[in-house]
Amino acid sequence: MSMSDDELRANQDHDSLYAKRENIYPREVHGIFARWRIIMVMLTLGIYYILPWINWGVGRQAILFDIPNRKFNIFALTLWPQDLIYLSAILIISALALFLFTAVGGRLWCGYACPQTVWTEVFLWMERKFEGSRPKQIKLAKMPWNREKIIKKGGKHVAWVVFSLWTGFTFVGYFTPIRDLWAQIPGWNMGPWETFWIFFYAFATYGNAGWLREQVCIYMCPYARFQSVMFDDNTLTISYDENRGDPRGTRKRGKDKPADKGDCIDCGLCVQACPTGIDIRNGMQYQCIACAACIDACEEVMDKMDYDPGLIRYTTLNEMSGKGLHIFRPRVFVYTGILLAITLLMLASLLTRIPVGVDVTRDRNILYREAPNGDLENVFVLKIMNQDNKAHNFVVSMEGFEGAVVDPEQPEFHAESGEVIEAPVRVRAAEKLITERSTKIHLRATATDDPKLTDGEDARFIAPGDWFN
Amino acid sequence: MTSNIPDNDEVPLIQRIIAILWPSFLAAGAAMILLFVVFSPDELLPELRATGVSNMAIYSVTFIFLWATTLFACALSCYFMRPCSRCN
Repeated sequence: MSMSDDELRANQDHDSLYAKRENIYPREVHGIFARWRIIMVMLTLGIYYILPWINWGVGRQAILFDIPNRKFNIFALTLWPQDLIYLSAILIISALALFLFTAVGGRLWCGYACPQTVWTEVFLWMERKFEGSRPKQIKLAKMPWNREKIIKKGGKHVAWVVFSLWTGFTFVGYFTPIRDLWAQIPGWNMGPWETFWIFFYAFATYGNAGWLREQVCIYMCPYARFQSVMFDDNTLTISYDENRGDPRGTRKRGKDKPADKGDCIDCGLCVQACPTGIDIRNGMQYQCIACAACIDACEEVMDKMDYDPGLIRYTTLNEMSGKGLHIFRPRVFVYTGILLAITLLMLASLLTRIPVGVDVTRDRNILYREAPNGDLENVFVLKIMNQDNKAHNFVVSMEGFEGAVVDPEQPEFHAESGEVIEAPVRVRAAEKLITERSTKIHLRATATDDPKLTDGEDARFIAPGDWFN
Repeated sequence: MTSNIPDNDEVPLIQRIIAILWPSFLAAGAAMILLFVVFSPDELLPELRATGVSNMAIYSVTFIFLWATTLFACALSCYFMRPCSRCN
């Protein structure tokens, strides 16, 4: 059995149909929700670009995820790798807050606060500065390449790239002290990896906000896929009032409303304004990021037509069918309850946390060696992190290896508040005590003035392998 | 005669590319965090650290390695998702 040539060709044609994306040129809208979005863009991006420049105390960057030195500065707080639990808790709290917001207000996050939305908003703004309004953009796209097109498109891309590079620089500034990084820019002597990540993040910004746009929401965003499970009939969504609007139809302005038509004049502005290219009048769709641009667009038209506002509006399914608004309902109480419980748990844990951390590492140069008295000796370094807000002296002790002795280089190790010190210790054991190639021991540091300030870690006492062959 | 090629071409190319690049990026990020919360580069690669390779380089290369690995898995998944009928 074989397909005829025509059929084969038809199938190949079909194969190459990758649901080609139509370019979307969202129409600029003015109105209350557009204003809110601008406020949110200023707020969120303002925080993003300014925050790394703020210092907390002398020479301490207030927010610095100092990955190379394995510590996070968050204002007065310093978090270490073993504090991962708090970062996880913050993530869980953020997720639950998102669930709560979604249950009550729908996709508020998407429309006003998501980085994809706010950066795209800035990119759209730049695009309009260079290419003009939506009709001009469409005209420009259809135009053959000439001087005007090259200048306008080129200018836009230059602006996008510069802004993206600044964004990438700021991003790396959260991980490498930003003032040092800034000082290195003129001579171009940033580290190779700092340079790499600046360009990586800049490229991601340029690609996502300049090119991919709504496709990020549609194909990349997990939240967009599952947000509907948090919805119920009382969730605020952006909806077109079909009972009022249909049947749609054009009409002359200023005349009385035709008796056979609803309030929708079918001008299509709600579709032109939509950044994801959907028609809200077709009902709720998962592409809708609840930016409310269609509301702003429609309200202007309703105003011009002298019709009541709210043909497209924030509403709930229940309100739409005359059952009223119900904000407080079991789902909201459950989300709030879980959110409160986890927040309280985290606070309690933060308040009762023991602010000392110990990491044990082996001496890099020697696995084992013979001590002057003939015993076998291993050298360890205890990294003692004093996370308390005052200085302490620490003593080192060992558990888990009967008969072996721990011999610190100093009797006490002093660590200032927030300081990480290295405490080298020798662990010695007589040959007859050693029964394994590798013996588990536990090394511990304890503050001399407060026995509750203590932490330890397991380590391995290593003996020569040929002893056990 | 009807073709037995199923009509599944609704998955756009960009969606397939993203389905390879993006989940692998997320998974590599998560693996990266878990790995380096437990181990520091000093413990993991003391010899390399001693030769003066910076932590930043170790973290970066590890991330790229993890991403390449997960990307490979995602790419294979995507490849095996092709309808079997296409192989004939």
